[in-house]
Amino acid sequence: MDESAAPILEVASVTKRFGKFTAVNDVSFKIRDGEFFTLVGPSGSGKTTLLRILVGMEKPTTGELRLRGEIINDLPPNRRPTCMVFQSLALFPHMTVGKNVEFPLTIRGASESDRRTRAWELLKLLHLDPNRYYDKNVSQCSGGERQRVALARALAYDPEILFFDEPLSALDARLRKMLQKELKDIQRSTKKTFCYVTHSLEEAMVMSDRVAILRAGVIEQIGMPDEIYASPKNAFVAEFMGEVNLLDITALGGASATWDTGRKTVPLALPELPVPLEAGAKRKLLIRPESLRFLAAGEHAGNTVPVKILNEFSLGSRIQYHVEVCPGCTLTVERLREERTAAAAGVLGWELADSQVLES
Amino acid sequence: MSVRTPKKTREFGPGFFGALASSPFGLLMLFGFVAPLLCVVWFGFMPPKTFELLQVPTLQNYEVIFNQTYFKSILWSLGLAAVTVAILLVICYPLAFALAKIFKGGASFVTYAIATSLFVSENIRLFGWVIGFMKNGVVGGTLAKLLGVQVDSLLYNVPVIILGMVYVYLPFMLFPLTLGVKMVPDQVREAAFDLGANRWQVFKKIDLPLSMPGVLIGSLLVFVLSVGAISEAKILGGQKVVTIASDIESEFTYAQNWPLGSALSTLFIALTAIVVFFALGRFDLEKLLGKKSNE
Ligand SMILES: Nc1ncnc2c1ncn2[C@@H]1O[C@H](COP(=O)(O)OP(=O)(O)OP(=O)(O)O)[C@@H](O)[C@H]1O
Ligand SMILES: [Mg+2]
Repeated sequence: MDESAAPILEVASVTKRFGKFTAVNDVSFKIRDGEFFTLVGPSGSGKTTLLRILVGMEKPTTGELRLRGEIINDLPPNRRPTCMVFQSLALFPHMTVGKNVEFPLTIRGASESDRRTRAWELLKLLHLDPNRYYDKNVSQCSGGERQRVALARALAYDPEILFFDEPLSALDARLRKMLQKELKDIQRSTKKTFCYVTHSLEEAMVMSDRVAILRAGVIEQIGMPDEIYASPKNAFVAEFMGEVNLLDITALGGASATWDTGRKTVPLALPELPVPLEAGAKRKLLIRPESLRFLAAGEHAGNTVPVKILNEFSLGSRIQYHVEVCPGCTLTVERLREERTAAAAGVLGWELADSQVLES
Repeated sequence: MSVRTPKKTREFGPGFFGALASSPFGLLMLFGFVAPLLCVVWFGFMPPKTFELLQVPTLQNYEVIFNQTYFKSILWSLGLAAVTVAILLVICYPLAFALAKIFKGGASFVTYAIATSLFVSENIRLFGWVIGFMKNGVVGGTLAKLLGVQVDSLLYNVPVIILGMVYVYLPFMLFPLTLGVKMVPDQVREAAFDLGANRWQVFKKIDLPLSMPGVLIGSLLVFVLSVGAISEAKILGGQKVVTIASDIESEFTYAQNWPLGSALSTLFIALTAIVVFFALGRFDLEKLLGKKSNE
């Protein structure tokens, strides 16, 4: 994605309150023209609320929305060049697939032949054979097919930005993967701006040009998936990125710290920081499972701890270990199958550069 | 599969128990509905002013009906019922929409309030209206006192009959309609709005078709009840309008002409049935409810 692409939608300090409860709290970001932007966050973090504000179904309590520079706060959804695919899909149950797809064109007053031509094009684009599906009732379509109908209908509206609220969450894993790729393909071929909402970071990583991570109505971090993966801003983001080890540490000044495992404290060396931590500061130390390794006798590493192996899970070419530092404190380690012999010694180590100090 | 099923289990399958369970209802329908209905139909073919069922059938009663002005009261009944249905649809749709989609929490209070009005006998409520509308009654008296205008009795005209029917049958329209409107998913309405439709288009293309089962059931209920209505026209309308139901009543009581009353009833039941089945046929309820599938 072109870094300098002009923003198509600007969200400026948007806040949404329901009574005393703040669902979206002073959120600001920009969606660039033609990008695949994903909002991701745990359940209840305000994703749907934010999306509903962006399409105009909900008014922000404060803040501004600008579409290509123009304030659109007061524009109702039917007059915005944006369109949303609901999690429930919200297909019109009393219409055929064809009539569903044609709906936005009917509203616009397109002629019957134009509507039909466009609907056939879109159904083909979405791999639904028009001969079979055009006259089919939507209630007779499978989950994946309904998904495609919903997307075709949204594309028929020809919006500048398409919003999606977890449209794939009800499908099984295989179909979901397939549709994720198709969605990405369609985004590329139509060159439309997509704004997607999901609670699955994996889904976000597969499809998106940029990702925003939402927690309790606040955006924690925005960036390209690789960027966020490489340098999460805080422990919440890091944890959200997948299975990681986060150690509670207290700085001792300089490059040393203690790790509070709950039962005992373990002295640790910290990686180099631009600004050293003050003594007594509490932080989290992030170590990815693949950065931990078992040390053979005589081998050295930046930090070493003796451990007991609790469990082994085969992940194909890799093996995941759950190891115990002391009762109640476990770490996750992921190593290649070949390195299995080293595990027996029960000494775990990692290099300082492979760990990151994060705010909690 | 069915070949290997032992005969015994087939005899006592779910069908058997279903039939057994529904037999009391079946008997009730047979003695309470079908038998009297057949009696009435048969009685309609007996010579006028007789009380015997075992006579040679004749068409005399129907000749009388078609040669006299009974068709007028049939038309009045059908017309009053149709107007009542139309007015109630217009009044109740917004109300049902508010109950189903806007009030939500407060809706049950309104529902109870309206349902409570059903506890008081229809006739008592209508006589209440008479006191309100009669010459120097509550309305007329108040107007005379406050504004000095002298109003004549507001009773005994067609509008007041319709007003009375609208009032009496309102719950029968409102409740099915509310259920119908509730069946329209919020997100489907929002999606239509989002795809460019304005309020009117959302109503026409989404709300109305999806709430059609409620519209249909409410309209049929009100139609069937009001086409057989008798008290509104009698109490509020005086003798201004004679409905078919009051014609039938007077044949059976005052005129003591049971065969003619029976023939009128038969004709009237047939007409109502035609209207109802026509309406049901036009709108396939199952399809409207989205239950039909070819799988
Ligand atoms: N209309 C409303 N009135 C009051 N509170 C609301 C309303 N809509 C949402 N909320 C609250 O706002 C918070 C965020 O809701 P939202 O639906 O945006 O979450 P979400 O991130 O989409 O979650 P999920 O992944 O479960 O869909 C929730 O705590 C919810 O209870
Ligand atoms: Mg949601």
